[in-house]
Amino acid sequence: MDSSGFLKVKNDIKNKLLQQGPLEHCESERKQVFNLLQRTIEDGESNSALLIGPRGSGKTTLVNDALEELCSDKNFASKAVLVHLHGLIHTDDRLALIAATKQMNLDNAVDGKVFGSFAENLAFLLACLRTGNKKTSKSVLFIIEDFDLFCSHHNQTLLYNLFDISQSAQAPICVLGITCRLDVIELLEKRVKSRFSHRQYFLYAGGENAEVDGLNLRMEKIRNLLTINNNKSNIVNNWNKSVSKLCSDKKFRTLNQRLMDIDLNERTLKNVLLTLVSKLKEKSLELKIEDFETELNEFEADEVIEQLHDLSVLELCLLISMKHHIQIYDNQPMNFEMVYTRFVKFANASSHIQNVQRPVVMKAFEHIKHMELIQNITGGSGRLQKEYQMFKLLVTSDQIMESVKGWQGLPTEVSQWAISSLI
Amino acid sequence: LRTPTRQTKRVKVLDSIIEEMKKAKITPAPKTPKAPKTPKVSKTPKVPKTPTNSSASFRKKLMEGTITPSMQIRNVPVLNAATPLNMARTKLHVSYVPKALPCREKEFDDIISFVEGKLLDGCGGCIYISGVPGTGKTATVTEVIKNLQSKADDCEIPEFDYVSINGMRLSEPRQSYVEILKQLDGQIVVWEQAQKMLDNRFTKKQGKKKQKPVVLLVDELDILCTKRQDVVYNLLDWPTKATAQLIVLTIANTMDLPERLLMGRVTSRLGLTRLTFQAYTHKQLQEIVTKRLTGTNAFNPDAIQLAARKVASVSGDARRALDICRRAAEIAEADNNAELVSMGHVNEALNSMITQPKVRAIKVSSRLEQLILQSVVAEVERTGVDETTFADVYTMFLSVAGIDGFRKVSITIALAAVARLGACRLLLTEQKSVDLNQKLILNVSSDDIYYALRKD
Repeated sequence: MDSSGFLKVKNDIKNKLLQQGPLEHCESERKQVFNLLQRTIEDGESNSALLIGPRGSGKTTLVNDALEELCSDKNFASKAVLVHLHGLIHTDDRLALIAATKQMNLDNAVDGKVFGSFAENLAFLLACLRTGNKKTSKSVLFIIEDFDLFCSHHNQTLLYNLFDISQSAQAPICVLGITCRLDVIELLEKRVKSRFSHRQYFLYAGGENAEVDGLNLRMEKIRNLLTINNNKSNIVNNWNKSVSKLCSDKKFRTLNQRLMDIDLNERTLKNVLLTLVSKLKEKSLELKIEDFETELNEFEADEVIEQLHDLSVLELCLLISMKHHIQIYDNQPMNFEMVYTRFVKFANASSHIQNVQRPVVMKAFEHIKHMELIQNITGGSGRLQKEYQMFKLLVTSDQIMESVKGWQGLPTEVSQWAISSLI
Repeated sequence: LRTPTRQTKRVKVLDSIIEEMKKAKITPAPKTPKAPKTPKVSKTPKVPKTPTNSSASFRKKLMEGTITPSMQIRNVPVLNAATPLNMARTKLHVSYVPKALPCREKEFDDIISFVEGKLLDGCGGCIYISGVPGTGKTATVTEVIKNLQSKADDCEIPEFDYVSINGMRLSEPRQSYVEILKQLDGQIVVWEQAQKMLDNRFTKKQGKKKQKPVVLLVDELDILCTKRQDVVYNLLDWPTKATAQLIVLTIANTMDLPERLLMGRVTSRLGLTRLTFQAYTHKQLQEIVTKRLTGTNAFNPDAIQLAARKVASVSGDARRALDICRRAAEIAEADNNAELVSMGHVNEALNSMITQPKVRAIKVSSRLEQLILQSVVAEVERTGVDETTFADVYTMFLSVAGIDGFRKVSITIALAAVARLGACRLLLTEQKSVDLNQKLILNVSSDDIYYALRKD
């Protein structure tokens, strides 16, 4: 097995995982969006619609896919103008307006620079759209991503105007909002809401049949993702065989069921698979179930517990005394003095930690604070001395116990103290 | 002791010198104090000048009117609708305004008699029109104006200028001066200047020729109300002046806006001539849709009635009824090219447009997310308080998951699931702190969760 062939196969799989695959679970929605955009372009009909679905459910992919098909028409450019707006980039109406003016290539935009104040730009854009009419002017497609952020703009001026144009006899426009919030319509002001045409398309991560046949669909998806078709060399054949063997394995199915129970999002699956593929060695070009299992365990691992393993014994002792405090006083806030007293009681009785100075303990305490394992609740006012500021523990007792258990070479006294709070 | 005298002497000498100098300076004509020279800003001196390359020249051109707003033209114009369903769809679009508005005859008469009377009397006045969105306020007023303009062309009533502004189309209330002046004279100036010019026009006596009366339509009046309310005050104060004949028609949504939001002096100027547009009843909605569809028989009358009744029971918004009918026509078109829009199609359209996605969203979310929602419900029921913290929910989750036979997950994974639920707003989460103490509030009713998760 030569190394260049191996690298090529590895790259092929990675690329396949990284690029957006074809849409499978939302054919009907895609058709509806496509028809909507096409009617705007061909018939000059004005429309507005919202595409709603949780993060990672393929909203942007769907729209891009539909647009790609529309753009493949060679007369597209002579019929329509595309305007992309994004709520995170165009954080107010002024920026959004400048971007729209640029993308529509209006007369007050020269070489990508837009002249005039916000008021002038707004007036000019509206005047432009008003001069247009249904029959002769080009359709404008507004694709607005993160639509919910546009709802927080001042007076919702831009949304009102866009929806208003879509409801009056002006240039034909289509406003397509993309958002992950289910209650986005409730964010609209009543007159904006009245002008919105209430077309909503919903996308869900698993698709329509997820309830009935989720696991089989998922296995099919994994098979498609990992199989390479374009290349028929020996390595590829072996790889494909190993993939189909893997997919038919019962344990692999159980593991995937667990992953789906946690998160239906396809992106999570792809992330797991991508790490696995990146770890492939030339010697054994084959995905093993054990590797997948370790990867999943790592994915499920508790980050806080791993963070606790980096602490010193002194810091762990402080955490244990905090744990005792919240157990005795039922989650009441505490300050350094309380924790210190509790700790000193233990330190005096123990043979291991006896002569630790107070400043050292303070330092350890500060370290815990910087790791954000505890949270200050007295507010940022610096009037209170450090020792008396109240704080809450952001680690549960279970997490502390877990980390005590997994700690290599921890003094027995400490682990015993952690279990009982007698001292 | 000598030093002070010497100093005073010196001072005296100095004083006298200054005096002399002053005299000498005063004798020639007193120089006007020179204004400090503003440094000439040559912003981009080295860029080759193209005609539109500077903001100033662009602005000048825009104000002169050399740059007129225009849209790009398509090569081939859109063809006319061919099939009856297609025609119905075009006629049902909200932008298609019919020649006469059905069911608004009384309001139409009220407004036209008001404006006509003011025009014939040669005095100014105000009227306040209110009503919920989509009840035909703006459409009726523009209809009135069109009617009056044709009457003015026949010389039945004096000629007038028509200006319309919309509060939502302005970046700030004061821009309304600019917009009014632009529509009156066609020139664009900054708002301070515009206000001065309008003030002159409306309050000062014009010398020779008499100005034409002006009808001003102010849409979305509530947006123009700032804290100082200077814009609204001016707009409503000008009609009271004898020199200008200004008739102001104001439109807003709330009936009690003058009392609730406006100051006493503004309310007083607004007067008591008011008109309220009631929401459409289902009969009226049905008539509106049927009137639009005359000439095409694409709709089953029962189907229209269904749509009208459903919309009238919610909002009485004509836009909504038209949109639903249009959607129904689309569905019918996709459905094997059916000739007639039936009740079934309208029902489908209603379901897709008046929809509650939350139950469906809960149904298709992952098992962990469903369990977390369940444990939030359980925690709310246990404590009786709506607000819970993540730590409590997680403890509850452990027991709920145990009953359900679900292997427990770590806090990291649970936090991620809560964040996902928060992003699509099934849960309301705190944006600032993502930790054990973050507060969670359920954004769906617990009945919805029970309904979505019940096992058949």
